[in-house]
Amino acid sequence: MAQAGKGRLNYRCPSCFMRDLDIDMFYDAQKEEYYCIRCQYHGSEADVLEKNEMARFRYGAMMKRFETFE
Amino acid sequence: MSDFIVNIIHRPELAPEYAEKVTGSGKKENIGRSDLRDESLDIFRFQQETAHKNGLKTTIQMTYASMFSDEAVALAKEDHERWGDEIGLSLLGLPCQQFREKYHTREFCIWMFSMEDKKAIVDDVFQMFYEKFGFWPESTSSYYLDADLINYIKASYPSVKCAVATCWEEGPKAYHTCNNSWYTFMDGGPWAPWIPSRQNTHAPASCPEEDSGIVAIPHLSRDLLACYDGNGSNFGTHPQNVLRGMIYDTKTWEFPYYYNLVDQYRSLAKYNDGYAYNMMFVGPGWLNQMGRWEAPYALLKKSYEDGLGYYGELKKKGELKDMTMSEFADYYRAKKSYNEPECAPWRDILYGSDKQLFWYCDANMRACINMDQGGALVDLRNYAAKQRIPVGVGTGNTVDASYPFLIQEKYRAGYFTHYAGAGTVRSAVFSYEGQEANLCQCRSHAHLEEQELAATDLLCSGNGTKKAKTRRLVLDPVELELGSLTFKVQTIVSFQEKDASIAMTRRVYDFSRKDAKVSLKEYVTACYGTTEYTQDMTGVVLGLDSPQDPSGARRQEILEYQYHDRSKKMEGAERSWAKIPQVKTRMSMECSKDDACGYIEEGYAFSPMFTLGCTMEIGEGEEVTTWLRLARED
Repeated sequence: MAQAGKGRLNYRCPSCFMRDLDIDMFYDAQKEEYYCIRCQYHGSEADVLEKNEMARFRYGAMMKRFETFE
Repeated sequence: MSDFIVNIIHRPELAPEYAEKVTGSGKKENIGRSDLRDESLDIFRFQQETAHKNGLKTTIQMTYASMFSDEAVALAKEDHERWGDEIGLSLLGLPCQQFREKYHTREFCIWMFSMEDKKAIVDDVFQMFYEKFGFWPESTSSYYLDADLINYIKASYPSVKCAVATCWEEGPKAYHTCNNSWYTFMDGGPWAPWIPSRQNTHAPASCPEEDSGIVAIPHLSRDLLACYDGNGSNFGTHPQNVLRGMIYDTKTWEFPYYYNLVDQYRSLAKYNDGYAYNMMFVGPGWLNQMGRWEAPYALLKKSYEDGLGYYGELKKKGELKDMTMSEFADYYRAKKSYNEPECAPWRDILYGSDKQLFWYCDANMRACINMDQGGALVDLRNYAAKQRIPVGVGTGNTVDASYPFLIQEKYRAGYFTHYAGAGTVRSAVFSYEGQEANLCQCRSHAHLEEQELAATDLLCSGNGTKKAKTRRLVLDPVELELGSLTFKVQTIVSFQEKDASIAMTRRVYDFSRKDAKVSLKEYVTACYGTTEYTQDMTGVVLGLDSPQDPSGARRQEILEYQYHDRSKKMEGAERSWAKIPQVKTRMSMECSKDDACGYIEEGYAFSPMFTLGCTMEIGEGEEVTTWLRLARED
């Protein structure tokens, strides 16, 4: 079939996420890849997961537990 | 002993927003399908059980759809009896087959219906609530409730005393994050509970005559730094917010950021007369079995359990009071006076920077001071104008419920602009020997002090009287180097209760040459708007007033805005001012130094702003205060 659907999970485009855009990706079963209909990102599930880790670069204190807020 | 109050709110939606519409699921939309309804009820049951397991009571906000389900009604009654949960009535969750058949629309945002439809729907759902439960609700909720709607609800159903009434800073940022498909805007409101005025929900009431009769709470407690810059739905006390923002460890599924967010809110009790607040309001769509985006159901469930687990832990330690919405409304009325501000010194707890903001909100204004820019004022809303902004079909303003800004550093550039022009900001520039430094370039920190005024200056209050106070934001001094001269500058920003002004005091000292004088320019660059895009400035009037002469006469210089980049100045001006009729605002600037030279600047098409300011010379040990004043101008 020609139409794309959703994959195992409903991944967002990591490239758009990095510019504060939440866009669900479609899954192309023939090419076994996710792709974004807004930008040009496309990649395997492994690549999406890797890029999602990259998107966290800005959260420098994501795992820090703060004790004071002064 | 301080109070940390938490409202946990659940709504049994039977066709939740995010569960029905999932990209490429391949299923035709069927809002009434039974598996969706069953799953939604299971989620509601899980949410309720998780709260009770942690010793927390909830407010159940029944939706229109849920009242057609005997099972949902029975569940609510059972939990009300057993756990003391409040049963309220939400105006979210309207979508269901019955609603669509009756109102012939897929619209679901109560605040954007026509006023006629708002009244019809409100009457319909309130009557139905009474039929199902035998009493009138004391609380209601939505993402936004406009003033006309609140006034109607209060007049028709006076039992209502608490409402979820806005989402903090969900304007253009939320719109963009949703791929420009979230057609509703509600920037510019309070981040913490408040009493909405009858004129505008976002603008707090200043006296009983303006009181809408309800206590409003924001939808979620949001990160006051991250949400101002980024997507509001990633950084709030909604456990799935932190998953949406990918703010968790993918291996351990831990998210300490969430606890930091709760704890930073707890820390605000110190600045708000021993009171701090949190709310959690999670619809069932966020806990659906298919997972949400890259988060599988197991992670969604864990995040909810961990979030409520933390509140439960705090309650066990005696550090949290759980209340229902109506209980909270009673608490708030007893605790706060109309003119008492909400204060929030807020530090970055996510990005690892050292940035610090200060948010201030009272019946006259909402303001944000940025310590990373030397104490510059970077966001300003004139609540003293109490601008009436009807919203919804038929008002000529269908989607934009935002309270307008005069300064907004993200939508109107702030200090940094490209190539030419100016952005909105209130700051100061020092210059000497041909060199200059804007305080926006000076990173600093601050602490907040409270100063009580004379006993004669009492506030009107819902519960007795209180002395008016001034909050002083004291910045750490910064050292400037201009040519051959070095000196220190300390900024103190003061907000006085009942007074619609912001005072900025500069103290200069430790001059490397004691006889040197530096030039100081105090200025505000402003405009008006609710989005990133410029508004027409035609009609704005700028002026300079001289002091009165012995005969009582005053000299005045006027500029009517025509984008001609003109400017005027006046030696010894008493004030510079701007009238902005589009937002019913008068803004003015006054200086403590009598010989300061006032000036006004018009702006031009590429830079559609105006500037008010004053310039002066100051030297070792001197101190100058400049007041930015706001008022309503009809």
